[in-house]
Amino acid sequence: MRSFSDYLRSVDDAALLTLFTKRPDLVIPVPPDVASLAVRACSPPSLARAIDSLNQWQFQVLEAAVSLNEPFSTKSVVGLTHKASAAVLEDLIAMGLIYPANDGMRLPSQLRDVLGNEPAGLGPASLAKLKLSELDDAPAEARRTLERLVWGPPRGSVGDIKNPGPGVAWLLERKFLVPLDQRTVVLPREVAIYLRGGKIHKENLVDAPQLVGAVRNKDQINLASIANISTVLRWVEELLNFWAEEPADALRAGGLGVRDLKIISNHLGVDESCTAFITELAYLSSLISIDSDDRIMPSNKFDVWLMQTPADRWQALTSAWLITSRASGLVGRADAKNVAALGPELDRVNAARVRALTLSILKENQGIAPDINSFNSLLAWRAPVRRNSSMQEELASWTLRESEWLGLTGQGALSAYGIAFLEGAELSLINADLPKTVDHILIQSDNTAIAPGPLEHEVSQELAIMAEIESRGGATVYRFTEATIRRALDHGKTGEEIKAFLSKTSKTPMPQPLEYLIADVSKKHGKLRVGNTSSFIRCEDTALIAQIMNDKKLDVLALRRIAPEVIVCNHDSVDVMRVLRESGYLPAAESANGLILTGKHANRALAKPRPPRIVGEIEVPDIDMLNSAIRVIRTGEKSSHKQAHLRQVANEALGALPRSTANETMDLINKYILEEKSLSIGYADNNGAVTHRIIDPIRVSAGALIARDHATGEVQSFRIPRITGVAAL
Amino acid sequence: MTDGPLIVQSDKTLLLDIDHPLSTECRRAIAPFAELERSPEHIHTYRLTPLGLWNARAAGHDAEQVIDTLIKYSRYAVPHSILIDVAETMSRYGRLRLEADPVHGLILVTTDTAVLEEVIRARKIQPLLGARIDAQTIAVLPSQRGQIKQSLLRLGWPAEDFAGYVDGQAHAIDLVQSDWKIRPYQELAAEGFWHGGSGVVVLPCGAGKTIVGAAAMAHAKATTLILVTNTIAARQWREELLKRTTLNEDEIGEYSGAKKEIRPVTIATYQVMTKKKNGVYAHLDLFDSYDWGLIIYDEVHLLPAPIFRFTADIQSRRRLGLTATLVREDGMEGEVFSLIGPKRFDVPWKEIESQGYIAPAECIEVRVNLTENERLMYATAEPENRYRTCATTRTKRDVVEALVEKHSGEQILVIGQYIDQLDELSEVLGVPLIKGDTPVKEREVLFNKFRTGEITCLVVSKVANFSIDLPDATIAIQVSGAFGSRQEEAQRLGRILRPKSDGRGAKFYSVISRDTIDQDFAQNRQRFLAEQGYSYKIIDADDVFQGKI
Repeated sequence: MRSFSDYLRSVDDAALLTLFTKRPDLVIPVPPDVASLAVRACSPPSLARAIDSLNQWQFQVLEAAVSLNEPFSTKSVVGLTHKASAAVLEDLIAMGLIYPANDGMRLPSQLRDVLGNEPAGLGPASLAKLKLSELDDAPAEARRTLERLVWGPPRGSVGDIKNPGPGVAWLLERKFLVPLDQRTVVLPREVAIYLRGGKIHKENLVDAPQLVGAVRNKDQINLASIANISTVLRWVEELLNFWAEEPADALRAGGLGVRDLKIISNHLGVDESCTAFITELAYLSSLISIDSDDRIMPSNKFDVWLMQTPADRWQALTSAWLITSRASGLVGRADAKNVAALGPELDRVNAARVRALTLSILKENQGIAPDINSFNSLLAWRAPVRRNSSMQEELASWTLRESEWLGLTGQGALSAYGIAFLEGAELSLINADLPKTVDHILIQSDNTAIAPGPLEHEVSQELAIMAEIESRGGATVYRFTEATIRRALDHGKTGEEIKAFLSKTSKTPMPQPLEYLIADVSKKHGKLRVGNTSSFIRCEDTALIAQIMNDKKLDVLALRRIAPEVIVCNHDSVDVMRVLRESGYLPAAESANGLILTGKHANRALAKPRPPRIVGEIEVPDIDMLNSAIRVIRTGEKSSHKQAHLRQVANEALGALPRSTANETMDLINKYILEEKSLSIGYADNNGAVTHRIIDPIRVSAGALIARDHATGEVQSFRIPRITGVAAL
Repeated sequence: MTDGPLIVQSDKTLLLDIDHPLSTECRRAIAPFAELERSPEHIHTYRLTPLGLWNARAAGHDAEQVIDTLIKYSRYAVPHSILIDVAETMSRYGRLRLEADPVHGLILVTTDTAVLEEVIRARKIQPLLGARIDAQTIAVLPSQRGQIKQSLLRLGWPAEDFAGYVDGQAHAIDLVQSDWKIRPYQELAAEGFWHGGSGVVVLPCGAGKTIVGAAAMAHAKATTLILVTNTIAARQWREELLKRTTLNEDEIGEYSGAKKEIRPVTIATYQVMTKKKNGVYAHLDLFDSYDWGLIIYDEVHLLPAPIFRFTADIQSRRRLGLTATLVREDGMEGEVFSLIGPKRFDVPWKEIESQGYIAPAECIEVRVNLTENERLMYATAEPENRYRTCATTRTKRDVVEALVEKHSGEQILVIGQYIDQLDELSEVLGVPLIKGDTPVKEREVLFNKFRTGEITCLVVSKVANFSIDLPDATIAIQVSGAFGSRQEEAQRLGRILRPKSDGRGAKFYSVISRDTIDQDFAQNRQRFLAEQGYSYKIIDADDVFQGKI
């Protein structure tokens, strides 16, 4: 038993189960046999993914194993590292990163490639026999060179290999340095390990670093957390209410423009990164949708969401956030390319993984608000920076920040609600712990109103249109101004309704100045009227105006008298003039600035001219080109036909599934539908496993072949891309 | 969740529910670090500002205490970001210290080299610095002490000033409390100032700021320069000092347009200090003419720009600013704080009123309907004349007449902005007028007659906005003002807030033309008082005529 596939064949089901739990990519899709499983498990992408899930200590042990020649023993790995490594080797075997063969431990074939040429900063193994003890007496110059190379990278450049300095020469002579090319030398692995004192790493990071940070009181954590939860729910609601009033426009490239982001940031009173987070949160939970005119608006799910309890609302937001691959922290980062919120550029492959890791670290260290440096070093141990690890620290710091905004944490430490959420437990606790809503406000004589707690939904909705929010938090401060009262009037409220609402809602008597303000504004509101019209008729002689209004022949114009001397009409002035003239009046045209327009009339279009595009003629290629094209097509046809035929013959001889190219498949299917013959096809299922079917083709429809399956006798549809090959029976 | 009186908002405002039983206790606890912004009838608004937090640090409070106080009184959970911000802001204070060094003079010392490196690279700071002494110390030009403190404050690294104050030339001053007693808040204010070194005391008009000044002088026991708005005010200060302190007439000098006396206690007017002769400020030498131990700025909200600049140069002397209304429409409040010193004492007007030290006042806005003709005139007036047009309408005159008639027997002040209007009113009402060109002598005569009750009604221009002490005036009728100036409105109300001998309340009428910008300006003018809890009542001019009020 030497190979990895032999090893896999030899292990029991439990071992395979462990392997698949640790490396789920090996079974998605399910491989048809052990050989293909082994191939997949040894493929670089799969190995890299497995290595990503190692912690720093496991990785160090793997590096030590890689630095040994195969086969190697547990003892030799322990020798190079630490006695604790024996247990880790078991883990690595369970993950299929090392496997025990007959003659000792071995590595899957491509593992070394995945780890790079110089794992742990070690060079290649020496080909010559070395007298390592001589190193102890190395001259000072040689020592200096060795010191430079011993911890890697093991390569160094020299001026000229033929004419080295005394130190390098001493080393080259004894093969302690090996020339790679004219200017480069490399330190062999054995020498480095000897100089490292028989170890691989400066320090064996057996244990995870301790997470330090401020220790928080549990009650304070939960209090702060519940405040955060109520805040984030308010933010989302306010954002969506704002967009319901004034939908934002999505950028052409997708996402929210910087200007719109600023507007919302001002409206919510939070900074732009938090604003980006809130918009993303709403987007992830499908509370907003971007319609076909690129307008960003609340979706109908928002109304459903509003009806839910706070705990359910919060859970909806948090669950969507937990699994997303989008990182809203990317929006508006200093000294980086600007990335739009809600845009297409926010996805990061490792975002969800780092988020889950961060939260699990918080969960393991309850009651601690981690110090960011300590947190980062623990994170680096748990997930040492390797493939796809760009921005790991940033992603983690965003997760911490966002957890606080969401209220998973309070004062930086995971709260009871956060734990309940992560464990999938009941969250109705939140409903009980949220501050009680209040149904009243206090109006003061400086035209402000204060809601001394979270307001009931209906009240806050009403109040939002008649006052401006000045300060947010546990309480809300509203200010009434002429503009806000006007806004309420524009929304169809009357002054009396506003007054009635406020005196009903306010616990304190309504101050007189506010009452006057409302009365003043509603008195003035609507005194000026503005509208659109296409043309007007005016005449200083009101009798003539009256005559026009009463003229039955002019009914077609649908005239409306808006003042004694002015009539408006929704028809174009040219038409109005024509009708008036036909009815015997003598109108003159007047321009917008009051000049009489007389003289020759010449119509001009208002729009900028857009001449039609010139469609170029396609040049006829010359006869030589056409001939050579035909030759190429014929040759291709012959060759693929011949290949298909050969394959067919071979397949039939071997009893294997039919194989044909996509074009051949369509071609054959169409042919056999016409001839009404039975067919043998290979068909891949959802997991990629190919099965053999005998069918009677009926027709092709919407990318699928409708056919009767002989095995079941039923008419079934087969998706054409899944058909691996077709052959006649 | 506790049921405290305080709500901490995420925008760093603190809302204090004053109907809560713990509100007084809470107010005392947050006063050292939060600034009072508004104090209307139910909920007072305080704000956490860096300046306020640094002042608290300077007064010996640390971030822990501030956070504990917030958490203790808060009704809801305090936003975490605020707690972090408080700790962060307060930790910035004291990293830089200004010290007096026997060898190098004034030096800037740091415990955090990175901060020093950051600030000495700032363009505004560089010219103020001398030689680098070592990694943590750099010399500062002694004349730039005020300037550097101000610039450091703007950079967000306030320096703790250990360089101290010069004592000035000693001069014995004591309060003489034979027939009166200093009020508790006045004493608190004077002490707050003295312990802080320099700063601003904010007290309502009529609450006795002069006494606070006198008490501060009694603490300093040194020669004092007092800067006031005008000559009348200077004379009032003099009278008060003679009455309340051990100072005698020879020790107090007046430095004004009329007299140029320099005595151990000198009272100078802003006007004379900023008078230019041949393009230079001729009288600024006064600051150097004595080794002043204390400089008092009366009505500090009016401090003119040249004095600002000069004040920056005298940072080693103790400075006391006094005002009722630290709101400047030019937004220079910050400058006052950084040059004179931080706010050392502030108290809501209504609280002093409830203690009976100022008269309760009723504010009434009388709305006048313009006649058709006046409306037309207003509508067609040039933009720059619009306010004047509507503020001086003929209709207002009738209302003023009716009001004066109604309150006949009481001491009435009619206050306005436009001289033509005032001339006319004075003629119609048959009462004397005091305006800018009324000689000081005549003014004093008229004010004295008013005080004694010989005259019951006076028409005054803006010269009487400040510092004029008219204890028995109970009615003020404002016919026009300087556009939307909030502090003017408050100061005018202040003229009638002195407690009355018979405990009567005061009435402040503001006559406004309806549906004009007069009304808009009035809204802005009233804002300060409304925020102090003065609720305006709006009535119609017809109610006045029909005697309904």
